[in-house]
Amino acid sequence: MKTSLLAADARTKKRNAAEARFKAYGFAAIIVAMLALLILLTSVLGNGMSSFRQTYIALDVALPEEKLDKSGVRDLSVMSKVTTIGYAPILRNALLDALAAQGIETELSDKDIGNMISKEAAATVRNKVLANPDLVGQTVSFDVLASGRIDGYFKGRVTMESAALDGNTSPEALMIAQALADAGVIETKFNWNFFVWPDASDQRPEAAGLGVAILGSLYMMIVVLVLALPIGVASSIYLEEFAPKNRWTDLIEVNISNLAAVPSIVYGILGLAIFINFMEFNQSSPLVGGLVLTLMTLPTIIISTRAALKSVPPSIRDAALGVGASKMQSVFHHVLPLAAPGILTGTIIGLAQALGETAPLLLIGMVAFVREYPAAYTPDAGLFGEASTALPVQVFNWTQRSDPAFVERASGAIITLLVFLLIMNAVAIYLRRRFERRW
Amino acid sequence: MEDMYHADRAMSTQQDIKIKADKVQVYYADNHAIKDVDVEIADKTVTAFIGPSGCGKSTFLRCLNRMNDTIDICRVEGDITIDGEDIYDPKVDPVQLRAKVGMVFQKPNPFPKSIYDNVAYGPKIHGLARNKAELDEIVEKSLRKAALWNEAKDRLTAPGTGLSGGQQQRLCIARAIATAPEVLLMDEPCSALDPIATAQVEELIDELRQSYSVVIVTHSMQQAARVSQKTAFFHLGNLVEYDDTDKIFTNPEDSRTESYISGRIG
Ligand SMILES: Nc1ncnc2c1ncn2[C@@H]1O[C@H](COP(=O)(O)OP(=O)(O)O)[C@@H](O)[C@H]1O
Ligand SMILES: [Mg+2]
Repeated sequence: MKTSLLAADARTKKRNAAEARFKAYGFAAIIVAMLALLILLTSVLGNGMSSFRQTYIALDVALPEEKLDKSGVRDLSVMSKVTTIGYAPILRNALLDALAAQGIETELSDKDIGNMISKEAAATVRNKVLANPDLVGQTVSFDVLASGRIDGYFKGRVTMESAALDGNTSPEALMIAQALADAGVIETKFNWNFFVWPDASDQRPEAAGLGVAILGSLYMMIVVLVLALPIGVASSIYLEEFAPKNRWTDLIEVNISNLAAVPSIVYGILGLAIFINFMEFNQSSPLVGGLVLTLMTLPTIIISTRAALKSVPPSIRDAALGVGASKMQSVFHHVLPLAAPGILTGTIIGLAQALGETAPLLLIGMVAFVREYPAAYTPDAGLFGEASTALPVQVFNWTQRSDPAFVERASGAIITLLVFLLIMNAVAIYLRRRFERRW
Repeated sequence: MEDMYHADRAMSTQQDIKIKADKVQVYYADNHAIKDVDVEIADKTVTAFIGPSGCGKSTFLRCLNRMNDTIDICRVEGDITIDGEDIYDPKVDPVQLRAKVGMVFQKPNPFPKSIYDNVAYGPKIHGLARNKAELDEIVEKSLRKAALWNEAKDRLTAPGTGLSGGQQQRLCIARAIATAPEVLLMDEPCSALDPIATAQVEELIDELRQSYSVVIVTHSMQQAARVSQKTAFFHLGNLVEYDDTDKIFTNPEDSRTESYISGRIG
């Protein structure tokens, strides 16, 4: 029987239908994935973007000598006896003066008006005065932090209705804030301090920052890079190029693949047992965190390095050996440079993984509340060894707090973490594109 | 043409023995790939190894510069001497041996570096040049010998992988020559090349005979007949027949050789 090419036969029709169905499934899967990503990003960005802005009150603060310096000769030991409790009324008076100057009338008590200023502000002003004692006796302009509720009002988190039910603020306070904002005294501006300040207590979310967490993460990444890259690359080179292929190396290979799949919390337990209990390093320190993350990252680096080495064609090794290069020369002169982009990509992806890892850090105590910059971060102290925190742990920490202002902070921290990860992955992709070689 | 070959062959029989193999056995794990091979390879001669694929030509060739050492499961027995020295003696460093016995592979495999660096690499690691000028000279000489100088002299810094297949193979030959070897091993050097490039490389091989002992594996009997003075026919790991090339192709002694060259096995 002769068939026409113009009419598809039954088999062909079935095959084409199957293909069309398969494409549709794939397309649907991608749509679902994109939607999930979109929802995630909108929710995180929606919650978190406001953490990059912060509300400040511009005050002209009179710094009276009789309150701040009883010695009268700017003796720091005397001046530092005045605590933040001594500074709070000074700021409150400055705010009352500002209200009077703007002609804003209010029935609120002075105490409630003082509560519009963050408790952190007194500490900030005190530090500035102690750093520069000559300010005492003058009237100085400061941008002081507004309290979390006032900040929340300008970001839409706190409303008149919620303020009415709130013991920490009141609709009247918000009205005053609005009037001050209209007069240009209260301003919401970019919040650099979010990236600089350490964490703050439950009562002052407006002062909480990522400074210590970013540094802690950075220090851990340094530890991971310095340890995991050389160890991982060296062991991969040995396994791939030099080790005899026998039962032992097979066993090692299987074990490394399995280690890559071990849940990260197990590494935390290991770190707790070895680095803290046995070696007695400081709990919660970036050193211990870095060591644990190194253990966790090593299998990833080894696997990707071995894959990169394997992808270098054997003909290159033959060529090098054929002109009389030693095994080591052939590896270091030819194979390793060709594998380098793959190794770097793998390392960066391993680092990115480590950067986002939370569970093992919780186990080694990095969840501790770090209110102050650790002494380790001042240049002269023994680095790495003091209690710190890390970005993902800070997120975890903030989500545990009750004040909704911390939801904003946590989302801001997530955005920061995502930006770091995005940068690292972009670098990895760039390196791969730039140096990849095809045969 | 024929006359020239005859004259050459007459001369070649008077050449010194460069490589001598005695009762060589090669095993890949349990696979006995080379069985009892005895052969004497003359200096300043092109010796061709022919035979059906899988008969062990490459394996035997790789014994001559100990490239088989890099294969874990490979085991070599018997004696192979070059200029009377046992190359499998424990005192011999295979790295030194390979500088003396250069190798050109089936697929052109230049390093993904510049043409200059490709040729200069061997002399550099063996310390053959004391300064840049000497290195330049070695590179030029090697490229000239490999008949690549005219095409490459203006693009020495261009990557070697950017050359055409035939040029790449000549670059590999230049790279092998640059370490001043005494023996050149070539494993099917033309199998990845087109006919024109093949003709160029064959011409080159004929010139290289002036300075080196050349051993070439080929699956093309025409090529063996064109470039070699001596031919060895391998079959299933045995060296069946080894004689002057024209004798093998005109009047083979063994019936297996005859079947192969007349196209009945292969
Ligand atoms: N690397 C190797 N590992 C195991 N067996 C090999 C290897 N190389 C070659 N062989 C075996 O040795 C025999 C000869 O192979 P080879 O020397 O490559 O033949 P030819 O070059 O003549 O085609 C074949 O049976 C082949 O399977
Ligand atoms: Mg072969």
